[in-house]
Amino acid sequence: MYAPLLANRYLTSRIIPFLAVAAVALCVALVIVVVSVMSGFLDMVRSSGKTLIGDVVVTRDIVGIPYYQDFIREIEALPEAEAASALVESYGLLQMPYGTGDGGKRIETVQVWGIDPESFDRVTDYQSKLYWRTPTAQEAKSLGPDDPRLESEYQRENDGMSLRDSFGNPGIVLGIEISPFNRRTKDGSYRTENQLGQQDPGYFMPNVGNVLLTLVPVSESGRIVGEKKSSFAVVNEFQSGVYQIDAQRVLAPLTDVQRMLMLDEAELTSKTEFDDNGRPKVIGTTPARATTIVVKAKRGVDPRTLREAVERAYGNFYTKAMENRANMVKPPARVIVATWEERLSDLIGPVEKERELMRTLFSIVYVVCAALVLAIFWSIVQEKTRDIGILRAVGASRTGVLWIFLRYGLLIGVVGSIVGVFLAWTIVARINDIHDLLGTPAPMWLRVGAWVIVAIGLLMIVRGIVRASALQTVLWGFGTLALIAIAIVLWHHEGHVIWDPSVYYFSRIPSTIDFHTAWTTALGGTIFSVIGAAIPAGRAADTDPVQSLRYE
Amino acid sequence: MHAPPQTTLPLISAQNVRKTYRLGKISVPVLRDASIDVHEGEWVSIVGSSGSGKSTLLHLLGGLDRADADSGAIRFGGEDIRALGAARENRYRNRDVGFVFQFYHLLPELNVLENAMLPALVGLSRWRWFAEKGALRDRTAELLKTCGLGHRLLHRPAELSGGERQRVAIARALVNGPRMLLADEPTGNLDAKTGAGILDLLAERHAAGLTMVMVTHDASIAARAQRQVRIADGRVQ
Repeated sequence: MYAPLLANRYLTSRIIPFLAVAAVALCVALVIVVVSVMSGFLDMVRSSGKTLIGDVVVTRDIVGIPYYQDFIREIEALPEAEAASALVESYGLLQMPYGTGDGGKRIETVQVWGIDPESFDRVTDYQSKLYWRTPTAQEAKSLGPDDPRLESEYQRENDGMSLRDSFGNPGIVLGIEISPFNRRTKDGSYRTENQLGQQDPGYFMPNVGNVLLTLVPVSESGRIVGEKKSSFAVVNEFQSGVYQIDAQRVLAPLTDVQRMLMLDEAELTSKTEFDDNGRPKVIGTTPARATTIVVKAKRGVDPRTLREAVERAYGNFYTKAMENRANMVKPPARVIVATWEERLSDLIGPVEKERELMRTLFSIVYVVCAALVLAIFWSIVQEKTRDIGILRAVGASRTGVLWIFLRYGLLIGVVGSIVGVFLAWTIVARINDIHDLLGTPAPMWLRVGAWVIVAIGLLMIVRGIVRASALQTVLWGFGTLALIAIAIVLWHHEGHVIWDPSVYYFSRIPSTIDFHTAWTTALGGTIFSVIGAAIPAGRAADTDPVQSLRYE
Repeated sequence: MHAPPQTTLPLISAQNVRKTYRLGKISVPVLRDASIDVHEGEWVSIVGSSGSGKSTLLHLLGGLDRADADSGAIRFGGEDIRALGAARENRYRNRDVGFVFQFYHLLPELNVLENAMLPALVGLSRWRWFAEKGALRDRTAELLKTCGLGHRLLHRPAELSGGERQRVAIARALVNGPRMLLADEPTGNLDAKTGAGILDLLAERHAAGLTMVMVTHDASIAARAQRQVRIADGRVQ
């Protein structure tokens, strides 16, 4: 029973254990804060990246997959698949309705996706990504009072879902970052602002005018056929959450894009036979083609499982298409089937690697933690040598003495880890508040207050000198130096925005504790504290009672 | 003074005990075939000059140190303490003997009551502690009262005088009711008056039947014992 009593007394009656607890707590908090924020970014990148892509993506180059409707039917018959939708992907030039300032029209290079909105929505929840739509009751509560989406004029989800304007003309949905009139605010929402920086519905893209899209069709043999231009009304804008997508991608009706890229259904003519009018003779029809099929998995189905099923489905589709003599065109023997993670590996991979690198580098902190505890315990055991002799003299066993110090280390590890987790939780939960605080100038009372405290510190140094107290003079000396540095920083602090949402795209720094990291780090902190205590504890247990009692 | 006991078998007996310390390559013999018998209820003083080996002999009797391998036996109640296993040896120090040191050796983090209870805490399992802690506290507090420390139970050692600290050390040595008390210069660090008080306290315990072996180099203190054993140059004379 003496082991817990002594371990607790040693912990609570001296300053050294508190230093050890503080060291463990800071090490644990450091790892948790860094890895939690990194994990938060990774989760944000992953969830944003997955937007508008489904779980599995089937792609072929610009030549496309013929009879893709049959392939989609094959996919939708799979027990692993929920829905599938065909796309046509290409690059194009988009002439904007506003000018460049020198009389010309601004032209953007864009990634064009031809989509069928209804099936695309079933796969990717497309409607929820339309930025200008009627907010739900819950969303409305979180919007600022000046958010334009609260006005019916800006609620254009129907146009976005039909990809037609109110006159039935073909419409286009732009990524929210394409228009220079969309200004992102600190809370991540957008305002359509004029050149004076005022909210102006005249600068709302669906009100600005039509855009002219230019695409370059390529023949099956890879020959550029010629440019195709088409005018589209901007009917909405979307926000995927990934800047690169929102600044480059536009969504247009599948049939229009197929037509422009010459991937639509067309008559097949003979090169050698001619009709009565001298025109090449029609010998059949070539099917419409899609370059991409996006597939959504049924709930609970792993994307990798779905990918394998889709690969099998393509094999079936290919066999049937090849056997069908009526088919004028043969589908490709191979297509690329990838999960969304594989497709976005260039986006997710670096962030994932960065997080693991951080986790590994910061794991060195565990060793620091163990070394600190070892150093502290070494001095504690040194100091407690006589106590160990007394305990052995009154009958304590070696194991009992060992257990006192291991228990002591365990207590320091557990208390330090708990404090560390709490500290990390406090920092991570408030990280945006802390950041906002850093982003605003220090108030005058704080600036003046800091110098008042500096003055008090100087007086305490003088007091220490007058009283000939070296400790007081040294402590206040270093403390006052630190205070002077803080006061100078506060005096010149005009607000330093580290995380500018207009640059980093994500409007907030992730503020959720990564619980897996938290408990593994806390466990690591505790284990390494016990390891740090083990060597001095073993040394204590081996100490000869007579030697200990003679120790001065 | 208490009459010498009449038992034929000594409570503790050391025969031809040798102890050599090694300082690097140099061997320093401290005890050379030292022998001593102490009977139940006897108070023996071991006297000698500094470095004569008297404290070493006391440590060997109490199981705090080990004699040379080729040394003679040390028997307590007929049992060779050198042959005891680790657990029995710990129990011997915990139950059968009590130590009082010149420099008190109290634990500064524990209060008077806890310091005095320490051997009992060491000897009790967790479950027995929960079952007996109330009775143990009462018994220890009573013991401390008889040592004149009833008003100091919750004080830390740093708040006590030298004499009070030694009384706590005596209470600690007695708390498990040992058969033998081993005292190493128990008044060596105290003024004459306080030292006399401590000796009176020890004499009371001896009068109550406690066997005591006390190391001292003060002839007047040694004279209070029933028997004096002189040791010089590692040999009992």
